[in-house]
Amino acid sequence: MNTQNNCNMHEALMSYLYDESTPDEKLRVETHLTDCVACKQELHAFERVRGMLQQWQLDDMPVLRVSTEQTGKRSILAVLKELISVTPVWAKALGAVAMAMLVLAVLGTDVNVGRGGVSLHADLLRRNRVVEPSNIGGQQNPMSSDRAGIEEIRAEMKSLVNQLVSDSERDQKERIKAELVSLQSELQNVHSADLAKVISRIQEQQTRLKTIERDIDRREGLDLTDILFSEVSKPAERSTAGGD
Amino acid sequence: MELSDTQIIERTLGGEPDAFNLLVRRWERQIYGLTLRMLGRDEEAKDATQETFLSAYRNLPKFRGEAKFSSWIYRIALNICNTKLRSRSKFTMSLDEQREATGFELAADLEDLGSGIQREQITRHVRRALQGLPFEMRQVIIMKEYEGLKFLEIAEVLGIPLSTVKTRMYTGLSELRKRLEHLREAM
Repeated sequence: MNTQNNCNMHEALMSYLYDESTPDEKLRVETHLTDCVACKQELHAFERVRGMLQQWQLDDMPVLRVSTEQTGKRSILAVLKELISVTPVWAKALGAVAMAMLVLAVLGTDVNVGRGGVSLHADLLRRNRVVEPSNIGGQQNPMSSDRAGIEEIRAEMKSLVNQLVSDSERDQKERIKAELVSLQSELQNVHSADLAKVISRIQEQQTRLKTIERDIDRREGLDLTDILFSEVSKPAERSTAGGD
Repeated sequence: MELSDTQIIERTLGGEPDAFNLLVRRWERQIYGLTLRMLGRDEEAKDATQETFLSAYRNLPKFRGEAKFSSWIYRIALNICNTKLRSRSKFTMSLDEQREATGFELAADLEDLGSGIQREQITRHVRRALQGLPFEMRQVIIMKEYEGLKFLEIAEVLGIPLSTVKTRMYTGLSELRKRLEHLREAM
């Protein structure tokens, strides 16, 4: 009879303790337990431990506030960030320009674009100065003075946009003109280089023609047989020399 | 007819986020029980339960349905518990918890045990004994004893072989036997 628990039955004992043994395994464990005091004692001890563990039960469930709503809500900043990240570059640029123009319009800023560059002049009180005369006269109400101010800003914006467009057109024309000039000079360079190549080829051909003419002149002094057999006689001489 | 976990998940992913609350109601008790027994602190267990469901909700599109939802959410809960236990420093642990963590026998408490030991006292000893076990053993014992999972299910939750689960269970019970044997006479 075994009194020391050195049997290799740990896993089988666990399955047996929790009633998860297969029929074969169950039979094997039960047979073993009839002979092994150590395993039997261990099994009883584990059952007691299980009984103690079961004493710890949750009497009442606390109120838990598990809300999935907060995961759905996002801050405005996060939404804006995502919107900006998916917006194309041209739309971003357009938006930035529109925003800048809006801010400038609100501030009553003068934007002068001329040959000397772009100059900005911010004047927050300009609108007040414009409405001053009507306020002094007391003839117009504040609504009409505001309208007048808006009309003035609108007119300024319109002239500003027109000026920007005309300046842009002028710049583009100048740029295209400069590009055309450079293209023309480039073409001329290419043309002259090609011309030089053609001239050198013609000269080369002329030289070759002269050489051929000289050769013809030389051959005109010989008999026809000399011309014909001078080339053929050489291989014949070589073959007779090889046969020796 | 009651919806299955998979059906609720499909509804949630299909544009009915409120359907997830059904899963919360169905599993919150088990998850709270698991986290409470793993962590031993009520407030921390409540936080861990909440974090578990929020994490599950956020990661729901990643749930492929190959494993059971219960296995998946138990795994999330155990990972959260593990993170919380790791972040605990020695300075934030009470003296009792430090003694439990080092496996120190609760000698002082033994002297207080009379013949008619109350359930509360046993519970306290059990809780301390469990807290003194290594994380790997503790989680197996809790899932087996309190959540009633089969060994195979525990293996699936933890992603370890079945034999390892049984070995951890055996070692854990042996350790608890040593720590709780003194209660035998008192009961």
